[in-house]
Amino acid sequence: MPRRYGPYGGAYVPETLVPALEELERTWTEARRDPKFRAELRTLSETLGGRPTPLYFARNLTRRAGGAEIWLKREDLVHGGAHKFNNALGQGLLARRMGKPRLIAETGAGQHGVATAMIGAALGLRTEVYMGSVDMRRQRPNVERMRLLGAEVHPVTTGSRTLKDAINAALRDWIANVRTTHYLLGSAVGPHPFPAIVADFQSVIGRELRRQSVRSFGRLPDLAVACVGGGSNAIGTFHPLLRTPVELLGVEAGGRSAGSGGAASLSRGRPGILHGTYSYVLQDSDGQVADTESVSAGLDYAGVGPEHAWLRDSGRARYVAVRDRDALAAFHWLAEDEGILPALEPAHALFAAVQEARRRPSTQHIAVTLSGRGDKDLEVVLRASR
Amino acid sequence: MRLGKALVRGRGRAPYLVPYILVDRARSGRLGATVRALRDGGASAVELGFPFSDPIADGPVLAGASGRALGHGTTWRDLLRGVRTAAPLLPTAVMTYANPVWRRGLDVALEELATAGASGLIVPDLSWEESGPWRAGARRAGLDLVLFAAPGTSLERVGRIAAQARGFLYLVSRYGTTGTGATQSAKELRPLVDAAHRSAPRLSVLVGFGVRDRASRDAALSSGADGVIVGTALEERLAAGVSAAALTRWVAELVR
Repeated sequence: MPRRYGPYGGAYVPETLVPALEELERTWTEARRDPKFRAELRTLSETLGGRPTPLYFARNLTRRAGGAEIWLKREDLVHGGAHKFNNALGQGLLARRMGKPRLIAETGAGQHGVATAMIGAALGLRTEVYMGSVDMRRQRPNVERMRLLGAEVHPVTTGSRTLKDAINAALRDWIANVRTTHYLLGSAVGPHPFPAIVADFQSVIGRELRRQSVRSFGRLPDLAVACVGGGSNAIGTFHPLLRTPVELLGVEAGGRSAGSGGAASLSRGRPGILHGTYSYVLQDSDGQVADTESVSAGLDYAGVGPEHAWLRDSGRARYVAVRDRDALAAFHWLAEDEGILPALEPAHALFAAVQEARRRPSTQHIAVTLSGRGDKDLEVVLRASR
Repeated sequence: MRLGKALVRGRGRAPYLVPYILVDRARSGRLGATVRALRDGGASAVELGFPFSDPIADGPVLAGASGRALGHGTTWRDLLRGVRTAAPLLPTAVMTYANPVWRRGLDVALEELATAGASGLIVPDLSWEESGPWRAGARRAGLDLVLFAAPGTSLERVGRIAAQARGFLYLVSRYGTTGTGATQSAKELRPLVDAAHRSAPRLSVLVGFGVRDRASRDAALSSGADGVIVGTALEERLAAGVSAAALTRWVAELVR
């Protein structure tokens, strides 16, 4: 299991967490070779999660763009309404295998919190979720869902009161309760082995996409597009395509205006150490981590997964930033053209995909990972369009 | 003086007491008087903390102090100024999370700290696995890089870490962040202390996280440790505006 991606990655953590990270790596190394574990993961992915998710040809959106064909990998149809289920299920099974009766999680948009709460209920593990109080306000429906699913939601009122601070709070809880608790980290960030494990569990997206695109249009797509906050749906999409000629495009949150920092760590950050990993970080000249802002809570994060940092530096993937209002425009396009409400996070990817489609001939195919559905964002979208 | 010399084990000067002060621009005028008061009370060295936006190893008191210090505009320059103030009074170790040092450039930052007079560096989110370049850099700069052990650390690993720690071995007394929860019993900590002493006989083991008064100090030392670190309890006193004389008395009570 890779500990470093080029110079990025590693495990910059207090010593108290080291034994737990080692145990997690050991457990996953065994489990991934255990046919019984793999069978249970596959069965629950299908029967509880609803996998495989379809690859959908967005005919009307394609017509709007007037260029390459746009295909949607429908992770919004996974149980819970987002790709977060894939990783929550996998890590939940690992927690049970380690005999840890309690799950904790951070959540930004609430999708990972909901996924963890669902898995906690299904596997009989007590679940507590940390969520920034700013995010709790803007993603209220997900807070209620987590509570209905039996999870306890702890508001985080320190710092910027968003995802970064929720991760801080979850890490502090883990430091105190590491013997009985698994920290079910929701993105491809954090100390080793989390980025590798999350990428493994999310790679089901790219594996299905590969198979389905060959079945649907006879070959691999020319370009795969996914949004990047921490980067878990993107790394899951990209991983199985790394050794193919498919172009990879990650889309970060550009924030309110071209001048603002947004949350585009790869486009505007510098290498640094945040939450246990060495990667790109939005920070000031003293190494203090910057406050971020984005219309989408799920992309509102100052760091990014270390493997993305390496894909960027090595040139294997490109990363661009899309502004709030462009993501909102893409939200409406998909709603009106295809009858699908996307989450604001993949709406960033949709906008970039439409831009790319315009520049490309109709013989090309673009696959966009639609990482979640937009029900949670209705309030934000309605307020923005007033 | 090198930190390891000031805190050397087995010279009859133990138990060592090392207080922790977070550098805060708003109270930089008082830093000299504070360090003098700590010295007069019998502190063996002092840790100067650099505030960080995301201090994951800190509990509410020190994390709150960190946030306030940043709100006051505290910068790396204030840290260097603090080191220049403290180092002539007591051997001074700097405690900072990894990113501020990395952002500045590892060698540049270490050189600046050493030039200001620091004798050691403590990085709470630097695991032993990632410490290689930092140990080499600290050696080049003439700084002692302190490493950590914790209750869950295996005895074999403690031995390996102690062999490469300089200055002292920082033994985290329990599962938790600074200033919260209960300390592991001395019985649980003793094997860790013994393993460190076996591996590095001249290296002191200092217990931190949760030492706040005479009773918790005694409990920590009964593990066989050579000293204690006091952070949160001191921060509470500084925040409450404790007088220098009272600070000296408090430290003297803890050292005695």
